[in-house]
Amino acid sequence: VASALTDRASPAMATYTYTSRPRALPCQRRRYRDNLMQPAEEPVRYGNIMYDRRVIRGNTYALQAEPPPGQPDPAEIQRRQQAKRRALAKRRAQEQLRPRTPEPVEGRKHVDVQTELYLEEIADRIIEVDMECQTDAFLDRPPTPLFIPAKTGKDVATQILEGELFDFDLEVKPMLEVLVGKTIEQSLLEVMEEEELASLQASQYAFEELRNVELAEVQRLEEQERRHREEKERRKQQQWQVVHKHHETAEKIAARAFAQRYLADLLPSVFDSLRDGGYFYDPVERDIEIGFLPWLMNEVDKTMEYSIVGRTVLDMLIREVVEKRLSLYEPKEDRQSPPKPEDGLGGPGGVRDSLVDYAFQDHGASPAQRPLPDRDSPPRAPHDGRSVEGVSSQEGRPMEEEDEQTRKFLGREELFQ
Amino acid sequence: MDATTAPHRIPPEMPQYGEANHIFEMMQNMLEQLLIHQPTDPIPFMIDHLQLDNDYVPKILVLGPPASGKTTVAMWLCKHLRSNLLSVENLIARQFSSLAAGARQHYQKFKTLPSGLLVRLVQARLREEDCVTRGWILDGIPETREQALLLQTLGIAPRHVIVLSAPDTVLIERNLGKRVDPLTGEVYHTTFDWPPQPEIQNRLLVPAGISEGETARKLLEFHRNIVRIAPSYPKILRVIPADQPCVDVFCQALTYVQTIHRSNAPFTPRVLLLGPMGSGKSLQAALLAQKYGLVNVCCGQLLKEAVADKSKYGKVILSFFEKEIAVPDSIIMKVLGRRLDQQDCVERGWVLHGFPRDLDQAHMLNSLGYKPNRVFFLNVPFDSILERLTLRRTDPVTGERYHLMYKPPPTVEIQARLLQNPKDTEEQVKLKMDLFCRTSAELEQFYQPVLPLNGDQDPYTVFEHLESGIINPLPNKVP
Repeated sequence: VASALTDRASPAMATYTYTSRPRALPCQRRRYRDNLMQPAEEPVRYGNIMYDRRVIRGNTYALQAEPPPGQPDPAEIQRRQQAKRRALAKRRAQEQLRPRTPEPVEGRKHVDVQTELYLEEIADRIIEVDMECQTDAFLDRPPTPLFIPAKTGKDVATQILEGELFDFDLEVKPMLEVLVGKTIEQSLLEVMEEEELASLQASQYAFEELRNVELAEVQRLEEQERRHREEKERRKQQQWQVVHKHHETAEKIAARAFAQRYLADLLPSVFDSLRDGGYFYDPVERDIEIGFLPWLMNEVDKTMEYSIVGRTVLDMLIREVVEKRLSLYEPKEDRQSPPKPEDGLGGPGGVRDSLVDYAFQDHGASPAQRPLPDRDSPPRAPHDGRSVEGVSSQEGRPMEEEDEQTRKFLGREELFQ
Repeated sequence: MDATTAPHRIPPEMPQYGEANHIFEMMQNMLEQLLIHQPTDPIPFMIDHLQLDNDYVPKILVLGPPASGKTTVAMWLCKHLRSNLLSVENLIARQFSSLAAGARQHYQKFKTLPSGLLVRLVQARLREEDCVTRGWILDGIPETREQALLLQTLGIAPRHVIVLSAPDTVLIERNLGKRVDPLTGEVYHTTFDWPPQPEIQNRLLVPAGISEGETARKLLEFHRNIVRIAPSYPKILRVIPADQPCVDVFCQALTYVQTIHRSNAPFTPRVLLLGPMGSGKSLQAALLAQKYGLVNVCCGQLLKEAVADKSKYGKVILSFFEKEIAVPDSIIMKVLGRRLDQQDCVERGWVLHGFPRDLDQAHMLNSLGYKPNRVFFLNVPFDSILERLTLRRTDPVTGERYHLMYKPPPTVEIQARLLQNPKDTEEQVKLKMDLFCRTSAELEQFYQPVLPLNGDQDPYTVFEHLESGIINPLPNKVP
């Protein structure tokens, strides 16, 4: 106001006015903590002036007294207010719980009515009467008399005589018609309903029958299908087994044919390898080799020995004869009396010496001459030894051996001849 | 139609199984044993024989003149093959045998053993468990033909017979240096085989009977006998010259002992030739096909045939050919599979070359069941390949193919108009060679018993090596 006055006094007479278009005021109440978003991005909340606590609604003459400052804070006041509100709410709830008469229907209104035996007049002014009483000291209290309140008001009565109000027969007809009609209609309806129900029942029954039949049919078909399927499975299995067996048989036969072909050469090769290994030998050949040939060689050996010995003996004989002739010839030149050649003791004795000589030479030559088998060399070794012995000591040696030898040789020679 | 009379196709797995497991040889051995032992209950006998599984244990005879190194070779073979050594000395020295005791007495008196006794000793020893399961090596037995025949009559048949031979003069010289270790029985030599450990050196003894006269006598006897023993073992005898260092002799002996003799088992060769471009695979394959009737399957050729036939595969392959990229493995496998499944391939065998180029293709081939039973690797040095390939020329007019070194064109005018295939330039050849070198190691690892061949020789030599590789069974290598 002060500013307005001063403004009026200003020369330009410019009154401060401020107008603005009506706009909804945003609510400055911050609902959340300081968020980092720009305020412009947030949706602007508008406050409703009607619910703004800062605006005082209603009577402003009687200002609301601030609570005395000595009192505790508004929190306490709020709590008390809340408690009051709660108590109020509880009371209201209890009132609501109490059984009441239902609310009046549309267009009606409840009215209180006295229902005691004796009606009481309700007036503004309440009649008061003072009364005193005093009981006698020794009298019993008489029974209390029934309280019958005084009658107030005027009794009035009316009476309706017959025929005054209405004519029953006339009035009753429509009502009766309606009643009876309704009843009959009702019963007709009921009967119709029953019939309908019965027919429904019948049709249901028929339907049930049909359905059963169909079900039976379906079951039969299913059974048939199942049997078919099983049959098919069984047949497939059988067929599979047959084919399998066929395969196996074919394989077995193929295996057998293959084995036969593969091992066709087995026996010949077994026999060939055993023959190469020397296990199978020709018994005749073996016998010949082991039994006959050594004996044969032995015999050949002996025969050749005989022939060689024979030749040796012949050689010695010839030599002997020639020597004798020589010796005869020489003395003949001296004495002209050839001593007779002695075939008796001297012969063998002389022959013995030269025989031994020649025998040694021959034996020395024989290993080179004769390709004899080894078996004969051991028997030959003692032979050699003996003849060597004979040569090494021609005098006083075991003559018996040599005699035997000579006799044997001479004997064989005879055989040979 | 009755199942027995319908025509049957023998599935190819059967012959492959037979080959891989040596069924024929197994049956042959079993039958031989049956015939030799003639048991009253053949089936348990056969079952026992099969469970023993001793078909491939070493059964070796080592024969040779004195001082040829028989004992040394036999002992080394024994150690290498983990087998048992039998010689006259250790047969006599056995304890717990009345036969051996009798033999000892006889030996002390006469210094020789009668043949019958020796053969019985050998038989008793060979019946023992360790000889049955691990094999045996006879050193110097049989000495005479009689002993050889007796051994053969008893059914003791070796699988390999090694005869060492050397000139007599060498042997007489060598025998003078013989020394024996009394503890182990090993034979050493003063010049050729001196033991490194000094304690062995100190205890070596000079054995008896190594003078020249003795050696000469023994040699004489040996020569008499060996001439009559050798014909008893006709197909399994191998003469190894003993006039070389003993290590060489041993190597030759070991290689021989590890070979398996050819048997009469039916064999369809399925040969895989691996080698870089220009190593001669197609030529060898053609020669093999011509000589043995195998089917020559060249992968590149097959694809070109498929294209020419205009089959459905052919059309697909043609698209790849036009774009000049490699045909994917699956298509190649399908075409190849169809060819290898045909009756003539299954029956007569095949020679495959140009196919697996790397490990994945090899795995695919394997998984489809086409397993080759001989894999050859043609080794040719890079320079040879360069020479062979870069000098190839074609005559555009007549279509003749020439090689400037090996088959030069006859006239100068032909030479003037010769053209070179762009695939034969040096860079291309180098590229292909690098590619091959990268994958060859894995392929060799995958097809483990690979037979390497030197491809740098003339074609017929290489062909002969190839043939011997195919015909002889694969040797079993002792680990």
